[in-house]
Amino acid sequence: MDVLDEKTLSELAARVRAYPYPREMVVDVLRAIQERRGWVSDEGVELAAQLLRISPLEVEEVATFYDKIYRRPVGRKVIHLCDSVCCFSRGGEDILKHLEKRLQITLGQTTPDGMFTLLPTCCLGACGQAPAMSVNLRLYGHLTPEAVDRILEEERREVSP
Amino acid sequence: MPTLTIDGRTVSVPEGKTILEAAEAAGVRVPHFCWHRALGALGACRLCAVTVLDGPQKGVRMACLTPVQEGMRVSTLDESSWNMRRSVIEWLMANHPHDCPVCDEGGECQLQDMTVAGNHAVRRQRGRKRTFHNQDLGPFIEHEMNRCIACYRCVRTYRDYCGGDDFGVLGSRDRVYFGRFRPGRLLSPFSGNLVDVCPTGTLTDKTSRFRARPWDLEEASSVCPHCALGCAVIPGGRYRELLRVRADPRPQPNDGFLCDRGRFGYGYANRADRPRQARLEGRPGTLAEAVAALRERVEGIARQHGPEAVLLLGSARATVEANALLSLWARRLGAADPVFDLAARRDGAARIFARAAPALRATLADVRQADLTLVCGADPLAEGPLLALALRQAARRGAAVRVIDPRPVPLVCEAERLPLAPTLVPEALRFLAGGNGAGLSQEVLQPLAETKRLFDAARRPVVIGSAEGLGPDGVRALLALVAGASRPDRDAKAALLLPGPSSFACARLASAVPNAQDLRRRLGGGKIRAVVALEVDPLAEAPPAVTGVIEKAELFAALDYLPTATVGRANLFLPSAGPYEQDGAFCDFAGRLRAFARVLRPGTPILHTGKGNHPPRTFSPDVPGGDAAPAWEILAEILGISGGLSGARAEIEKAFSFLQGLAGLRADARDERVLPGGEPPAPPGAPAGPEPAGLRLLLSDPFVGWEPLSAHAAVLEVLRPEDAVYLNPAELARLGLAPGARARVEAQELSEIRVARAADLPPGLAWVVRRRGSALSRLPAGEVFACRVAREEGA
Ligand code: SF4
Ligand code: SF4
Ligand code: FES
Ligand code: FES
Repeated sequence: MDVLDEKTLSELAARVRAYPYPREMVVDVLRAIQERRGWVSDEGVELAAQLLRISPLEVEEVATFYDKIYRRPVGRKVIHLCDSVCCFSRGGEDILKHLEKRLQITLGQTTPDGMFTLLPTCCLGACGQAPAMSVNLRLYGHLTPEAVDRILEEERREVSP
Repeated sequence: MPTLTIDGRTVSVPEGKTILEAAEAAGVRVPHFCWHRALGALGACRLCAVTVLDGPQKGVRMACLTPVQEGMRVSTLDESSWNMRRSVIEWLMANHPHDCPVCDEGGECQLQDMTVAGNHAVRRQRGRKRTFHNQDLGPFIEHEMNRCIACYRCVRTYRDYCGGDDFGVLGSRDRVYFGRFRPGRLLSPFSGNLVDVCPTGTLTDKTSRFRARPWDLEEASSVCPHCALGCAVIPGGRYRELLRVRADPRPQPNDGFLCDRGRFGYGYANRADRPRQARLEGRPGTLAEAVAALRERVEGIARQHGPEAVLLLGSARATVEANALLSLWARRLGAADPVFDLAARRDGAARIFARAAPALRATLADVRQADLTLVCGADPLAEGPLLALALRQAARRGAAVRVIDPRPVPLVCEAERLPLAPTLVPEALRFLAGGNGAGLSQEVLQPLAETKRLFDAARRPVVIGSAEGLGPDGVRALLALVAGASRPDRDAKAALLLPGPSSFACARLASAVPNAQDLRRRLGGGKIRAVVALEVDPLAEAPPAVTGVIEKAELFAALDYLPTATVGRANLFLPSAGPYEQDGAFCDFAGRLRAFARVLRPGTPILHTGKGNHPPRTFSPDVPGGDAAPAWEILAEILGISGGLSGARAEIEKAFSFLQGLAGLRADARDERVLPGGEPPAPPGAPAGPEPAGLRLLLSDPFVGWEPLSAHAAVLEVLRPEDAVYLNPAELARLGLAPGARARVEAQELSEIRVARAADLPPGLAWVVRRRGSALSRLPAGEVFACRVAREEGA
């Protein structure tokens, strides 16, 4: 199966059987699906619905609510730049301008080499280190243009040294 | 009861009510979007801001979320809350496309009203607007997402109230989107309620798209004619064309909701092939000629051959007045009572229920408030859809729902089902009433004992059956169960689903003497020479033994507004007015008389006379196609009763004491009058014959495809079920049928080809869902027939 490998599928199915309310597993299932290809396709939503015995719409509601579930192809690394109030008041918008300039893309886009996707996010819970962003699951705070350049460099190197 | 003042008006409301509800009671209108009487408060739109001047928490509060307190002083006119409301409206309008000129909601739009009420007149926002792509939601609902204000009423209606799972809210932030996973038809049978609850033009009625402005519509308070529940509706029409049906927002009886059959099934009235002209022996004539011919010929035949030569057929879809006048005509002729239902077993069941004590008869409100509901031998979604919705409301309040039925009865709430052969259902009811369960197997008795424990513990149980599913024996058991369970501290009630909006009154008009039951005898005697069909289609609904006699009658007269097989064959035809084209009354399944008012006069829609263009400029005093008259008016004329509807009603009240009060009913006030109970008819002398051996045929109704009016509405065709025969998987295998194979089904010398399908049924049953025009569908409802199912060779 293209959406999930057999092993993960049967593990998830076993967990579903053990849950009194399988729908509570919807985020876990979506993340498992996202793990495989980096994003969740329509077929992925339908498979999750089938597994959890809820309608595809009910899965889609959750999938589209959480901005860390991707319903479209993304780059290898997804940058989530916080645009909530603390980061905004500590220069978040300047960081956005800098990122856009460096990556030559705007919010919602992916670099032509498929490396980075740039997305906004609401509060990352790192208000004390505002402005903040995350790259995949890694959190970065106290951002400055220089720090951003360094981070991009390191993140890029991690994939292709 | 806390007492408070709102804008200087003093009002007392029960503990736990909110400021918004108190304001409604005090006659102060607080602007709001997301609060809805039937859906409750959510706090999503922030429009209902009011200022609490005195109370535990002073300042600007959401009226829909703030409970009232003794001595509170509230102002809606205070500057701070007034400013807040103005800002909220301005924000909500920031992304609105300002397309009111091409919006069907325009003129009855809450967003327009609130924009004016909020004093928002000048746009200050300069940026780009957020926009969405719309979805095709199927033939009933038009989607225009840019008009959405995110009040969540639609989702709460579709998902919470109606139990659908294919429409919801997607996305987050300012991009929340109300729609489906993929474009496509909304699958809930209650999808049309989205049109009524959406306060903007986001979700509108596609069937009447761009046809009329609300202020151009002729509207009136009416009663839905598509089943026996009698939902309160407000149909609207223009240029002699019925254009839409909306729910009356008042809470009773249907809580402001309708099913899609009742809402979108109105197309029968506008059909181009609707019979609108009287016909005498194949020759077109005027209605007056036809009325005179009907009286002369029926009276002539009665004189010459005796009154037993006259067979009058009443109907569940004709008004109470028309059916009562038909009964009166039978009396005057000295003929037998009209036959109101051609299916003897169903008729017998209805006649028993129609004489039950009023206190035992459940209304939709009783079902919504029940703490336990049993559905026995009934398919609410097909036979009375809003009852299925009422069951869901009971379930949402915590009531258990148990189903005892051979079929996998679909509901819109969780239910536990006990599959039982149709003939055993009455026995199960007797067991619940304390019987010994003779004839029931151990594996049935065990879950049944559990249900009995629930029933005995419930304080407001409602037991639901259908006349067709239970038959006379089952209805007696049903009534005995609830009568035995009612005590001062405990209200047990029964509901019986009946075939049409006048069924209850018809069952009461039918004397205690069996009439449908002895129809066979009357037909067999070879004496029938005149048949009058009042808005009924015996040729599609009765088996050949009956239709053969009817077709051969010297006089075969039909009154109708549908292009039925009967109308096609009749040698005397009188065009009658449809239910929304007359004043009259129906009588709902709980035996309440309910008056309705005329919406439109009958006549060929200008859409047809003008063939889509301006109608021809010919001048005449008559309305084209406007000859049709209400059936009661035609019958009053025949009986020589003058004085219009009130004259007819006065005569009816004199002749039938149980219809007292009919004349005083007002449609716009939604008056109702409960029919009294009566002496139940004696059980039939001869016991029911032995069960046929082998495979038995079980027929039942679909949501759409059998009920006569909606079966003539083209837009509902997508909802017609497949022509299938359902068997349990073992039975399918035994007959050598693969699911999807073509199978010939034969019973009572009628046969047709259907697609074989597997279903969760007890063994020995072949289940067929009726369709108008299908051969097997002519078998009388509620009876069990021996049948044969075999593979059909060839293509
Ligand atoms: S579609 Fe209508 S009912 Fe639904 S949230 Fe939008 S405005 Fe409210
Ligand atoms: S439930 Fe019956 S009365 Fe109510 S809208 Fe549907 S068809 Fe009409
Ligand atoms: S506001 Fe940016 S992390 Fe909280
Ligand atoms: S009506 Fe109170 S917040 Fe919407």
